[in-house]
Amino acid sequence: MTAVVNGKARRASAQQRSLIARVLATEGVPILLVLIAILVALMALAPNAFLGWRTYVSVLINYQPQIICALGLTLVIASGEIDLSFPSVITLTSLIFAAFYRFDNVFWLNWLAEGRTPEEIKAMQAQLSWLGVVAALGIGAFVGFINGALVAWIGIPSIIATLATAFVWRGMAVFLAGGKQFALRDFNQTDLWDITTGRLFTGLFQSGDVVLRKPDGIPIQAVIVLALAVLLWFILNRHRFGESLLFIGDNAHVARVVGIDVKATRVKLFTLMGALAGLAGMFLTMETENFTTTQGQASLLVVIAAVFIGGTSIFGGSGTIVGSYIGILIVVMLQIGMVAMGLGGDIADMVIGVVFVLAVILHMLVERPERLKGLGFGNR
Amino acid sequence: MRTMIRALGAAAMATSLVALASSAGAAMLGEGVTVYMQMGGQPGEPPVLPRTNGAKAAAEALGVKLIEQYSSWQAETMLAQFREALAAKPSCIAIMGHPGNDAFADLVADAIAQGIVVTSGNAPLKELQEKYQDRGFGYAGVDLYEGGAITARAMLQAGLKSGDKAMVFGNFSRGDRGLSDTGMADTLEKAGITVDRVEMSEEVNGNPPLSIPQLVAYLQQHPDTKALGTQHGGITPLLPDVAQQAGKASGELILGGIDTDPKTVAAVKAGTMTATLDQQLYLQGFLPVLQCVLSVKYEMGGFTTNTAAGTLSPKNVDALVPLIDQGIR
Repeated sequence: MTAVVNGKARRASAQQRSLIARVLATEGVPILLVLIAILVALMALAPNAFLGWRTYVSVLINYQPQIICALGLTLVIASGEIDLSFPSVITLTSLIFAAFYRFDNVFWLNWLAEGRTPEEIKAMQAQLSWLGVVAALGIGAFVGFINGALVAWIGIPSIIATLATAFVWRGMAVFLAGGKQFALRDFNQTDLWDITTGRLFTGLFQSGDVVLRKPDGIPIQAVIVLALAVLLWFILNRHRFGESLLFIGDNAHVARVVGIDVKATRVKLFTLMGALAGLAGMFLTMETENFTTTQGQASLLVVIAAVFIGGTSIFGGSGTIVGSYIGILIVVMLQIGMVAMGLGGDIADMVIGVVFVLAVILHMLVERPERLKGLGFGNR
Repeated sequence: MRTMIRALGAAAMATSLVALASSAGAAMLGEGVTVYMQMGGQPGEPPVLPRTNGAKAAAEALGVKLIEQYSSWQAETMLAQFREALAAKPSCIAIMGHPGNDAFADLVADAIAQGIVVTSGNAPLKELQEKYQDRGFGYAGVDLYEGGAITARAMLQAGLKSGDKAMVFGNFSRGDRGLSDTGMADTLEKAGITVDRVEMSEEVNGNPPLSIPQLVAYLQQHPDTKALGTQHGGITPLLPDVAQQAGKASGELILGGIDTDPKTVAAVKAGTMTATLDQQLYLQGFLPVLQCVLSVKYEMGGFTTNTAAGTLSPKNVDALVPLIDQGIR
């Protein structure tokens, strides 16, 4: 009788273990648990900042460009490549979009302003900003195409090719800006701002008697980026293009043998990454209503860290859109939490580094325990 | 006031010399003079642009060959650039003081020994200046500590009072660069304000919009904060956004910053920004080139110009907007 009971208990325990293993193996769950643990700790340590909604809304308003780049970079890294040029593409496309709005302030478009009154110029700004959207996305895709061509057709390793073009795109941005910075004054009064950057559900976010230049609410950019994340998840996990990327990332030679056009796929991938960086640059400029020649330049390490914290493999062949999305949030929440507690960014950097290492160990523990031989897991 | 008079004096002197040089027609005063000049961050960056434009204007007016060097504000790059300049044996090298006196001591000594004039800008190198002033080592820039103090005084005048709480978001641990943040925090503390000094991360330093949620969270966690200050030219224009996203009404928070980014100027104009230090960066570009020419040609000693013109206010902001769009202010 005892043996029967023990057997049932063992089976129940094994089933429970298997359920936990299955849940943990679900995409993004381990890293989501890390994010929840961090948020719980921050709620305890800085309750005013993390139990209200303003901090979270501020994150949604200000971090969409980084999320877009992390999503794109996930595809690139999953295919065994890297793109170091996206911060410079952000700068270049920020300039392109800003230039169409402030056409009176850039040397290659100011002829459009000649002989026009300030009122006429203001009306034209709102119209030309639509053209700016097309131009920014188009230029982003074009420079991405050049990155892809250098990697796929000429055969330059992506780390070298994109490092080189990063200098080109950044220099081009400064040149086309005429070395200037400019504010996009009154951009928040245009239809384009309402459609792309405005706020939703403003009624839910009470601001009392305070008159705000931009109402509180969920930024439309956050909704667009969430939809983009869903689309990219389907592309990576349910579409032939995503399947090809993972195959190439796993083994480019075998991918070629089974009939995947590796070169064309890589060109498409970098073109997509360029377009996404273009979208990021445009969104950044739309939200800040400002262009500076260093726009987006310090995004590189944060975005790469977020992709790896999220669980995408440096070896290629696997990538997680959900993980990268959460990875950005982890980095952001840690930075914000440290400053909210008055500890400063230097402490945040140290904590992020530790969480980075722990997150990578966690992913390996869940997915490839044999790689953690040093911790004794590989011998099981 | 004295500072303004000195700055105006320097500008007047510069104008007269340029006029003289132009009227001379054939031979320009700076002909044959090559100047290697450190500009700071990256080309076109907000605090770099007016300095670059000032230097270019002086070079053009005086007939100087100007070689610009950009360092992304990295002290070690500035030192490497000095070595590169030294190897080229120019007439003069205009450096930024960020690496500090000790780091530059041997390099400057080597340059002076080779007959190269060295002058400084943006961040002072007081020891080296005292040592080599008679050889043309001057300084054109703000007294960093005093610059922060000027901004703090404007914040106090805007209504901060003893017992209030303020947060200064700065680069306190980054050597001389943190002096302006320290000047701001010290001045507020002397007036009885409780100051929380918070160090910004490298990512925020290079990507200022990332500071917004951090400062919003800080204000949520410390709702009794009455003032927010920084001496970072990229974060300053974002302070009104921080106040707005933290749910503060226009003018509810006293905001003090630095430089005249177009967005900062728009905020001052709209009354959502309390005070911003005007460093007159154009002068920080123009005057070192002039110093080089005068010292190379006429063995003139180094002159010191505090380029700070006080803080930008709604009174003077309208006149400055076109100049800021042109990258002059």
